[in-house]
Amino acid sequence: MPMVKKREIVISVNGTRYALEVKIYDTLLDVLRDGLGLTGTKEGCAAGDCGACTVLLDGKPVNSCLVLAVEADGVEVVTVEGLAQAGKLDPLQEAFVREGAVQCGFCTPGVLMSAKGLLSVNPKPSEAEARKAIAGNLCRCTGYVRMVQAILHASDSMPGCQDSSEEE
Amino acid sequence: MAQEFVGQALVRSDAVDKVTGSAMYVADIRLPGMLYGRVLRSPHPHARIVSVQAGAALKVPGVIAVVTGQELDALGGEAVRDMPFVARHRARYVGEPVAVVAAVEEKIAEEALKLIEVDYEELPAVFDPVDAVQPGAPLIHEEVGHYTHIGAIRPVPRSNIAHYSEERQGDVERGFGESDYVFEDTFRIHTVQHGQIEPHCAIAQWGTDGKITVWTHNDGPHRLRKDLADALKLPLTRIRIIVPYLGGGFGGKGGLKAEPLAVAMAWKVSPRPVRILMTREEVFTASLVRHAGVFKIKTGVKADGTLLAREVIGYWDTGAYAEKGPTVVKQAMVAAGGPYRIPHLRLVGYCVYTNRVVAGAYRGYGIPQVTWAYESQTDMIARRLGIDPLEFRLKNLLREGDLLPTGQPAQAVGLEECVRRVAAELRWGERPGPGRGKGIACTFKNTKTPSGSAAHVSVNQDGTANVLTSTVEIGQGARAILAQIAAEELGIPVERITVSFPDTDTTPFDASTTSSRSTFHMGNAVRLAAQDAKQQLTRLAAQMWHCGEEDIAAGGGLVRIRDRGENAIPYPALIGRCYGAGGSILGRGFYYPQVGEAGEMWSAPSIFWMYGAHGAEVEVDRETGRVNVVKLVAAHDVGKAINPVTCSGQIEGGAVHGLSVSVSEEVVGENGRILNPNLHDYKMLTAADVPEVVPIIVEFPDAEGPYGAKGIGEPVLAPTAPAIANAVEDATGVRIQQLPLTTERVLDAIRNTADAAAKSKE
Repeated sequence: MPMVKKREIVISVNGTRYALEVKIYDTLLDVLRDGLGLTGTKEGCAAGDCGACTVLLDGKPVNSCLVLAVEADGVEVVTVEGLAQAGKLDPLQEAFVREGAVQCGFCTPGVLMSAKGLLSVNPKPSEAEARKAIAGNLCRCTGYVRMVQAILHASDSMPGCQDSSEEE
Repeated sequence: MAQEFVGQALVRSDAVDKVTGSAMYVADIRLPGMLYGRVLRSPHPHARIVSVQAGAALKVPGVIAVVTGQELDALGGEAVRDMPFVARHRARYVGEPVAVVAAVEEKIAEEALKLIEVDYEELPAVFDPVDAVQPGAPLIHEEVGHYTHIGAIRPVPRSNIAHYSEERQGDVERGFGESDYVFEDTFRIHTVQHGQIEPHCAIAQWGTDGKITVWTHNDGPHRLRKDLADALKLPLTRIRIIVPYLGGGFGGKGGLKAEPLAVAMAWKVSPRPVRILMTREEVFTASLVRHAGVFKIKTGVKADGTLLAREVIGYWDTGAYAEKGPTVVKQAMVAAGGPYRIPHLRLVGYCVYTNRVVAGAYRGYGIPQVTWAYESQTDMIARRLGIDPLEFRLKNLLREGDLLPTGQPAQAVGLEECVRRVAAELRWGERPGPGRGKGIACTFKNTKTPSGSAAHVSVNQDGTANVLTSTVEIGQGARAILAQIAAEELGIPVERITVSFPDTDTTPFDASTTSSRSTFHMGNAVRLAAQDAKQQLTRLAAQMWHCGEEDIAAGGGLVRIRDRGENAIPYPALIGRCYGAGGSILGRGFYYPQVGEAGEMWSAPSIFWMYGAHGAEVEVDRETGRVNVVKLVAAHDVGKAINPVTCSGQIEGGAVHGLSVSVSEEVVGENGRILNPNLHDYKMLTAADVPEVVPIIVEFPDAEGPYGAKGIGEPVLAPTAPAIANAVEDATGVRIQQLPLTTERVLDAIRNTADAAAKSKE
């Protein structure tokens, strides 16, 4: 068997920069979980269908199982481990905990990242917009009911979002 | 007396771990020297394995070992020990393991698989349970009847029938004779998959001391320990099962799944640990599915709607190995008449082998299938008699004191309340708009009985407590409610209680986290253990205060002399005074229900029954056949909701699960090969597809349950499919007797009914 080709990448994850040597067939998911030990991001299907591997890549939610590590050279990635700041949970995380939106928890990191991606561009989404934002994240436990409520309540409680209508 | 912790909507203790990504699942575990295994699987549904040549694979750099079935003589299975860890001389389904490779990296193992040569001799195969019981059908297990099996199972030798069950009450022929009308209908239900987001994974290590440790997401750790011990002919003490969080189960993570493959490989590469992680495709093709089946149901009824007699014959497709199939069929068929007063019953079930992926435990344990049949037919009968379907049900429903199919009198029957609350939420009396319809369906389910649960409660020297339990956290919130129960009994705040993860070396025996049994059985065990701990504290206090134990009261975190408010001291102070060098109080509880001998005709008593009803309002597009569920209501009698939030969460999730498997999901196969083994073509509903869901908790306390609690997780998806089909008939006049309710099926049915109506006018 021929030797596997490797490449060096520099990637920022949750605010920390790493210089890594990756195999050319490694995915961003492989790098996060195996290379960096950040196992909060999950693998559910390795085919981009379930959303369990969702992370923010330069602010946008992506299925990290579909991103090659070599494509992630120079990007900024945020994973579920990067949501809480200085020991304080993100309002989304708070809302999920409070609303009972977490059951087995396996889809939760991916859902949170999709929701975070939504709220960072649309701080006051409608229910339909919230549902659409997490439509790429499959969940079998919750029926999505409390997750959607949690996203809407998180957006209500986020600072600077209350009176965006006044700006018009 | 109001409860401080039980019944409160407390935030579950694992939520923060899960939202921060720090909750650990099996695939997150890294062990030193761990190897990665990949599995070579049969491409044929039925074949003799002539030879397996792994020489070329072993030469690949980084490959450590290959193991084949020929090297390991181990047969496992909970009800019937019919399944080899790795196929030996025969492959019986597409996807059956034929060899396992372990390498230093997953990709290397994957490449090495391609170099293993297997010589197969194809055999005739059969894929349908009705075909498989016909004389002359290919015999899938020559040893049927000769495998070791539990006593309650009745295999039929020289056939594909893994189990045959027949239950009778009264005399159905007499009942049909006395009926004004007799209706016969056939219903079909399809194959669906559990859809847990976490794929199957197990890590096994066969130590130099011969001790096997398995890290796995198994819903019955002590059960797994026994299954492996039986298959390998080892004592229980040689096997240790450790279970972290499960990323969803629904029945698909019990029994032997990834574990036997990991153990077989670990045996070969001892003492290095080996991980087997299934791909999503393998989860579809080679883990577990729900039983598909055909149900023929014949019912006799009086003109006024009184049910007199019901005969149900079910053919259950159990796939290539029995797994829990025989007990699924046995338990479900007992309830196949429905939660009604019916004097004459004959319930026959065939658990049939086919050359398909294994079917077994799936949320509801066979109740969804029989509910699909009896609640569809019950609705049809009501309509044919011109009786409102709600009124028909209320007329015949089981009530307190009525005899259950097992001969026990029903107690704590919240069934009527569930049905009425669903009807009220749907505004049953109001006709829906054009193209819309409303439907109701109800169900009941037993819990496996008898089964035992043990717990230890350790009160520490600082007044906190550890609960040691082998109950598994699958997502249902078991760890949360067990902490609430311990808190209530001891009078210690729930934040000062920690609940263990299962480890069969240290957490005491539990039958399993299945059958909606844990709140009841383990809840009772935790109560007993907490009471035992309080008894020990009482004894210590009596010694310290030189009085009788009957003079001491322990509770609310304190011990005191009765009727004397002063001198009350907290538990830590008492422990500190008696054990100055440190100590703990260890309370033990073991709950094992006593059931009398069931009547000789019935062999499935249940310590409690769960009742529920679902309702649906749908909108059907007659041009396309598309069924849009506008509102879904689900009411369940749980006895007592220890935590109303986790309980509602189960009902909401279960109703959506039920909706998804009724209208959207189907494992499609052809000649034993699954055509859609991925989450793109097997369509689970997304957040954008889900209608308004209204969960309703009904509480009819059970006398034996902890604080009156029964269970919730299993029956929550049983009545959804018939409720929707009943609503579709209400909307269109068309009855669908086969699941799933796809647009094609509904459209065909609408067109056929229209054609038939047009022809009858000619």
